[in-house]
Amino acid sequence: MFSRLLLLFLFSWTWGTLAATPSHEQIVGDFFNKNGASGGSTSNHTNNWAVLVCSSRYWFNYRHMANALGMYRTVKRLGIPDSNIILMLADDAACNARNRFPGSVYANPGRGLDLYGDNIEVDYRGYEVTVENFIRVLTGRMEPSVPRSKRLLSDASSNIFVYMTGHGGNEFLKFQDNEEISAFDIADAFEQMWQKKRYNEIFFMIDTCQANTMYSKFYSPNILATGSSKLDQNSYSYENDNDLGISVIDRFTHYVLEFMERINKTSHESMADLFAYYDPVKIHSDPGVRSDLFRRPLSEVRITDFLGGVAQVEVGEGVPVDTAAVGEDQWPLQGESPAVPPVLPVAENTQERVGDLGGGWRGMRAWGGVLLIGGLVGWVGFRS
Amino acid sequence: MRTLRFLWVLGLLPPCYCRYFSGETFSEELVIRPLPDGKVASRFEFTTLLHGATPRNPQNLSVEDHSQHYTLFPLALGQILREYAVTELHLTLNAGKWNYDRWGYPEESDVATGASLWAWMAEGSGSASAANARHRVDARWRDLRNALAGLFCASIASLDEQRTTSPGRAFTPVGALPAWPASVQHAFRHASLPSENVCTENLTPFLKLLPCKSLSGLAHLLNPHRLFDADWHGMGLHVSWRPNEGVQVRLTFQSVSDPLRAGGNSRDWSLRLLFDRVVDRACPVAASSRIIVTLPTKELYSVHPEPSSVVDGRGAFDLSDQSFPLDLRLRWAEPFQHATVPSAEAPLSVRRMLRGSAQDHGALAISITNPDSDPVSVVYLETLPWIVYLYLSTLELSVGGVRRPDLLQDISYIAPVPHGRAATLEAFLSLPARSTVTLHIGVGRSFLRYTEHPPDAQRGWDLPGAVVALLPAASGNQSSATDSTNKGAMQEMKKWNQPQRIYTPALLVDPATPDFSMPYNVIIFTCSLIAFIFGSVFNGLTRRFVVLKSPE
Repeated sequence: MFSRLLLLFLFSWTWGTLAATPSHEQIVGDFFNKNGASGGSTSNHTNNWAVLVCSSRYWFNYRHMANALGMYRTVKRLGIPDSNIILMLADDAACNARNRFPGSVYANPGRGLDLYGDNIEVDYRGYEVTVENFIRVLTGRMEPSVPRSKRLLSDASSNIFVYMTGHGGNEFLKFQDNEEISAFDIADAFEQMWQKKRYNEIFFMIDTCQANTMYSKFYSPNILATGSSKLDQNSYSYENDNDLGISVIDRFTHYVLEFMERINKTSHESMADLFAYYDPVKIHSDPGVRSDLFRRPLSEVRITDFLGGVAQVEVGEGVPVDTAAVGEDQWPLQGESPAVPPVLPVAENTQERVGDLGGGWRGMRAWGGVLLIGGLVGWVGFRS
Repeated sequence: MRTLRFLWVLGLLPPCYCRYFSGETFSEELVIRPLPDGKVASRFEFTTLLHGATPRNPQNLSVEDHSQHYTLFPLALGQILREYAVTELHLTLNAGKWNYDRWGYPEESDVATGASLWAWMAEGSGSASAANARHRVDARWRDLRNALAGLFCASIASLDEQRTTSPGRAFTPVGALPAWPASVQHAFRHASLPSENVCTENLTPFLKLLPCKSLSGLAHLLNPHRLFDADWHGMGLHVSWRPNEGVQVRLTFQSVSDPLRAGGNSRDWSLRLLFDRVVDRACPVAASSRIIVTLPTKELYSVHPEPSSVVDGRGAFDLSDQSFPLDLRLRWAEPFQHATVPSAEAPLSVRRMLRGSAQDHGALAISITNPDSDPVSVVYLETLPWIVYLYLSTLELSVGGVRRPDLLQDISYIAPVPHGRAATLEAFLSLPARSTVTLHIGVGRSFLRYTEHPPDAQRGWDLPGAVVALLPAASGNQSSATDSTNKGAMQEMKKWNQPQRIYTPALLVDPATPDFSMPYNVIIFTCSLIAFIFGSVFNGLTRRFVVLKSPE
């Protein structure tokens, strides 16, 4: 009888301690939710990718290249590195013989900001921008010799921003005036990505005529989509540049970029703010949003979840840096003494350890359960 | 105490090893040459030498390679070279047409329009087993193209077997090829894409291969907004093996700028005018950093600052002696007089035309002018995509209207395979003194399949430029060239024992394009016809006509 009680007591004790120890998934979930619980993002992604596609060729489609380059600049400014951006430009606008300003692409007639700049990497250019290559990039099914810079190396916790611009219509987008991709193709490619766990969440933005039809066929979870105009509506260009002689940007992308100018890496603006900024009167068409496949409420989704490369960081104990050792790799600048690296400040242990987090209430509940079971066992045992 | 005893050993070490980075040397040079027509040709050269290194033997490709630790040598490039066991590699990305008549020979002789890639790679293992199929030259050539396409953001991956050729004489290795056993012979592959655009995205990775990037040293002058505005610009990557020194990587950037268009109102130029930048500081890891300017010989001029030394009409500015920021300025005292290049100094002049207005046949006409007083031997190399094929029986050589078949000494022709392989024609010609030789060949144009047309089919196809290579071996080529441009080129030629190559511009050939809406038309028409016939037959078989009495 005593041995039976002892066994039951040991059993309930181990059950209680197991319940009190948070599992690994709970630890990781706590880490992300902690950063989100303070009124910010509830996302649990770890890296960001961007796929920016301009599918039109020829000089008079300069504005489509400016659209894609505007998004490229925004995405780079907010922190996504070149290695995580796949930029596809179907034609060369900056070094085109018709370009009055070589090496530059401007998105406004005042030529305030050069979108091409000095530091740009275009992964697919010219004839390489095809429907086949676009789908191969999304699904990852490529020949082994394709280099890393042309691959979308995303995983199950990547947030991907897919931006497409060009000439399109009812459920199709034209690639280089030669072939087209349909909404079904993109939907199936996203489903392949979901099956292969190649994304955590996708934000799909498209700026073409009748753009909203392009996202009407998606059926995979965690996709948020927005387009510039609905069925039977055209999307219009914004302004012409009289020196270049063509339109330099489209209306929808212009207003999106205007909104993005207020965003920096630490902004808390959400997707709901972006979609509220849409003004059909100014854009001259009705932009649309599709969020039924998206599980989070839009007011909790930050812009930087998709367009930024913001990493979630937890500051731990500081490690003292040994600045006395100057290795032979440190060559002095001409005529100057060897540079001494700055001392890293020792960070205070401001955050609690993850394991103690939120464990207070759970631990009490677990011990309460142990005591209850122990009490019941004891009552049953002593009753007879 | 014991450690202090051994401190005296440190005194034996060389006192200053700040420039010696475990066997790598980096040096940079900028050569500026004012041209007779008022423009300015500049050539940047960045050389990294990896001491004692040798190319990888492809027989050892299945064995793991030694680890690569570089300080100055670019790792991205080193990994590509070792992974595909490349002995020598040349890649050029040029835009524009080099005007030999007005500008003479370029400092870097490979000025083919668009992208050109040629490499020497040794054969891998000879057995045909599946594991070694990746080690064959053609598989490594394909993987090398893809890797370089990713590194340089260029569409080099499309230089597939339809554009790859192996010409024998016009291209010879700049460095040495390792003397491996006879079963590991080196194969040569050459491919070019004349329609390739060159823009900032090609310059960005170029700068990332340099140790100082574009932050300090001469690379700071590489401003894409000015370079891609030039009348001609081109970048090059040249990897070769020097037996007594090691593996050398040379990154070059040439351009021909116009001081008038750049904002000045005369041919006076300065670094600020040409590049919109000045040299702020020297690259700390460069073993030597120089600017060499060809100074005018017959006119009054002033150059600021003073050159460190003047050798042979060229002023050398060593950046270790100069003060920063360094803005070089050259001013002429008198207004510009357009000079005509004397015929004794004019280089070989080559013109190539595609004649005929029919869409299925025509003629290729080439005229080569030899201004020298000595005969010259050249190799004429033509690599044509298969859409244009040559009728070799119609090949005619003439000088001044007189047929001269004796000028054609030898010919090598690899016929094209439609939808498969490009044509290679190598003709060994001897050009008499002070004469113009005309080559005339009939060509036919293929009919392309519907899916083989590029997206902008109405533009046509670019034919890569022909190469006229002056062979260095013949004694007739050591002509007395007095101009510094030609002399510099001749010196280059002698130095590397290279054929001096002259490139013609790319030609545009427009094959017959179909009506691309025809598949849609055919489908619609056929479906309508089937529906009409089926509907009529079905109705005829199943519909019964019944006579009804009309109600009174």
